[in-house]
Amino acid sequence: MRFLPTREILILIGLAFLPGLGQAIYFREKVSWQGPVPASESVSLAQARSWGSDAIWVDARPDEQFAGEHVPGAIQLNEDRWNELLPQMLAAYSPEKKVVVYCSSQSCNLALEVARRLRQEAQLKNVFVLEGGWEEWLKARK
Amino acid sequence: MKSTKLFLIAAASLVLSARANAQLKWEQTAVDLHPTYSDTVAVAHFKYENVGTTPIHFNSVRTSCGCTAAKPEKDNVAPGEKGEITATLQIGDRTGVQQKTVTVETTDPRTPSTALQLKATIPALIEIQPAFVYWDGVEPLKPKTISLHAPKDSPVTKVTVTSSDPMIPVKVVPGSSPKDWTISVEPADRNQLRAATLTIKPDYPEKTPKLYYASVRVTNATGPAAASTPIAAVPPAK
Repeated sequence: MRFLPTREILILIGLAFLPGLGQAIYFREKVSWQGPVPASESVSLAQARSWGSDAIWVDARPDEQFAGEHVPGAIQLNEDRWNELLPQMLAAYSPEKKVVVYCSSQSCNLALEVARRLRQEAQLKNVFVLEGGWEEWLKARK
Repeated sequence: MKSTKLFLIAAASLVLSARANAQLKWEQTAVDLHPTYSDTVAVAHFKYENVGTTPIHFNSVRTSCGCTAAKPEKDNVAPGEKGEITATLQIGDRTGVQQKTVTVETTDPRTPSTALQLKATIPALIEIQPAFVYWDGVEPLKPKTISLHAPKDSPVTKVTVTSSDPMIPVKVVPGSSPKDWTISVEPADRNQLRAATLTIKPDYPEKTPKLYYASVRVTNATGPAAASTPIAAVPPAK
């Protein structure tokens, strides 16, 4: 048995990389190392808690999950009933406050969407997405 | 010569194993939907066929959002059998591009997990910007504006706007195009903390128009009445 020459080995290594490269190009908008929320738009639980009464907690989860349990004092605002729920959120808002939006977990997109609409449509400042979401809140409570 | 053969076999194996043929063959794994203004749901059909020789069982079908439900037509797929997974997105008050993932886990040994992508572009009946205006304690009490825009295809041709507080009157001014309007807001008195909800009512749907809201606030009022006057929490008109 003779070993393959260097050129063939290099070609084989190159071929082995091809599928990965193809996927990286095809899924370039969903690269795993890129977090969906820029760091400036997210907040850790510890930081959000340290804001105390300066924070408005917004629960972006569906109605039944909010009804089950939520962060004490949180205001419900989701995209299912955005038009109906927005006024009560805006009634609690004031420009000097910080808005902390959360959904079920780190992987859910609901908080991201609600935060985006609050920034773009209502043009609110200081809107943050809670890292880890409701799961993180539950973990910290244990 | 031997090494060339070996090389060719190795290369072919690499290329073939990189994208092994799955037993469950999907007609498409991404669906692009364009619901209309009257739709309340957006439904995607992901069709599949078992091209293998053994039955396949769906272990689980999960969605990335509580707003989307998905279920397979049947739990077991016999060889040669076709079927589909239906994914239904509740539109609710969503607008713009919505991307949801349906993760399907099966007993297919080659591709045990498949991510199906549902993309829906939901048109907005009307766009409001900004949905919140306020005056703080130091800025002059000049009128502020909220822009209303009905996209080109939107069936909205007219809007009416009412304020929940008579001390924060509003005026709707037609814009540069027939689908643009400007709401002009000017609180009558800055010496009191005030809050109003503006109810924006388009002329669509004709029988039960969809209502939109904007909020107006006078904060940090400086007058003598300010300290003792609470902000009225006005519920939106139904």
